Amino acid sequence: MLELKNLWVRYGKKAAVRRLSLSVNKGDFVTILGANGAGKSTTLNAISGLVKVKKGQGEIVFKGEKINGLKPGKIAARGLIQIPEGRKLFPLLTVKENLMMGAYLRKDRKGVQHSMDRALTLFPDLKDKLNADGRELSGGQQQMLAIARGLMAEPELLMLDEPSLGLSPLLRQLLAERIKEIHREGVTLILVEQNARLGLMLASYGYVLENGELALQGKTSDLMLDENVKKAYLGV
Amino acid sequence: MPPAGIWIDGLIQSCAYMTMAFGMVLVFSILGILNWTHGQFYMLGAFVVYYAITAVGIPFPLGLLAAGVLVAGLSILVKKIIIDHITGDLYVGVATMGLIFFFEGAASMIFGMQDKGLARVLPGVVDLGSFSVSYQKIAVVSFTLVIMIILFIMLNFTRIGLAIRATAQQPDAASLYGVSVERLSLTVMGIGCGLAAMAGGIIAPLYTINPFIGGIPMIMSLLAIVIGGLGSLTGAIVGGLILGFLNSVVAYHLSYLSEVVLFMLVVIILLVRPQGLFGASVK
Repeated sequence: MLELKNLWVRYGKKAAVRRLSLSVNKGDFVTILGANGAGKSTTLNAISGLVKVKKGQGEIVFKGEKINGLKPGKIAARGLIQIPEGRKLFPLLTVKENLMMGAYLRKDRKGVQHSMDRALTLFPDLKDKLNADGRELSGGQQQMLAIARGLMAEPELLMLDEPSLGLSPLLRQLLAERIKEIHREGVTLILVEQNARLGLMLASYGYVLENGELALQGKTSDLMLDENVKKAYLGV
Repeated sequence: MPPAGIWIDGLIQSCAYMTMAFGMVLVFSILGILNWTHGQFYMLGAFVVYYAITAVGIPFPLGLLAAGVLVAGLSILVKKIIIDHITGDLYVGVATMGLIFFFEGAASMIFGMQDKGLARVLPGVVDLGSFSVSYQKIAVVSFTLVIMIILFIMLNFTRIGLAIRATAQQPDAASLYGVSVERLSLTVMGIGCGLAAMAGGIIAPLYTINPFIGGIPMIMSLLAIVIGGLGSLTGAIVGGLILGFLNSVVAYHLSYLSEVVLFMLVVIILLVRPQGLFGASVK
């Protein structure tokens, strides 16, 4: 469904991502792990089009078509949605308007209503807050809204960037349940996490990035037992 | 208390400043730049209305619409030809400052430098006992109200309005969900500068028109958005109202000192509330 072929992303002279290749099949749940600055977010931003991939710097193929060079909106319209790091909610739009922005490109009113119902079933906390401004929500609710907004775009492939950041262990648990549910409903997932334990627990396949390069990949059940992963990311 | 006529003049000036400041804030919140040539779009708007009425012979409201549309088109050209090719807010600012002289010079060559005045398009007054108000002034206030209501509806109840607010607050997320920020910037540039033209056009029948009338309204609306809170549309309206009244009422009492008082007041407001009256930490 998604394939990165020998991808390079440079900021000025510095390369944030080097010769990265990875592939995600329909229905997969993949996690990308790595330390701060390893290139995880850059990779997601390159896929979603927020960061431009220059000519000759590799290829990003989604559903059989090359998408690098397209505007973020065009990529979103194809069903590839990113839930950005730090939530990036619209602080002065109401919760309902935030959700509607997720469905900005959709014209099917009925479908949008259906997605709204589904998102609110998944995150019932938001139901009572529909008319509150985004900034009035608690940290946990904000993260739920960020995910719900992403679902409003009817994603086939959803990329989550550090959704657990700043959440209490209890909320993290709840978030994990919700993410599993989204996957069960048939959405292909890429989860970027600094919290390696969470990523490995949820996903079935993992890529580990180090200094912008692929250091390791494999089934999460194998990665969990890998000595290097244990030492570097799980603190065991 | 100054006589009622002074307050009414204040309201008329407020109308122009509000409309103009609103446009400046719109442009600032999406493009991230202060358009220094806003005052010259105001001036061009006044000229369009002048010639629409005297040379073409169309009614005032249509002339106003023409001013908005023509200047909107011109501002889009300015963005495409100049602003888009310059990086860095400071440099864009300097470039639009340069355009002040370009437009004033061009207007002097084309329209001449002497003052022009429109005959009252709407003769007659409403008698309110101790004072009277001309239909022309009532028309100015009504048009401003209509424009503000249209803007309010557009921003709060339409898809493009939602996109504008979302992009102003969080451009990355807006573009992730499909807003073309580039196209939206063009639209907003057109709306914002079209509003400046309409501000100039609205009060054109009440004041003299020449190529240099844009400077003062530009400074006033800049002050308006600074005391209102940079980036706040409500702030632009309130700031415009305050400055319009202050300008005429203080000038009535203090004549040439009024500018000094005005700037002192702005400084005081900013000392007490550095973020402006309606500015928050987030837009």
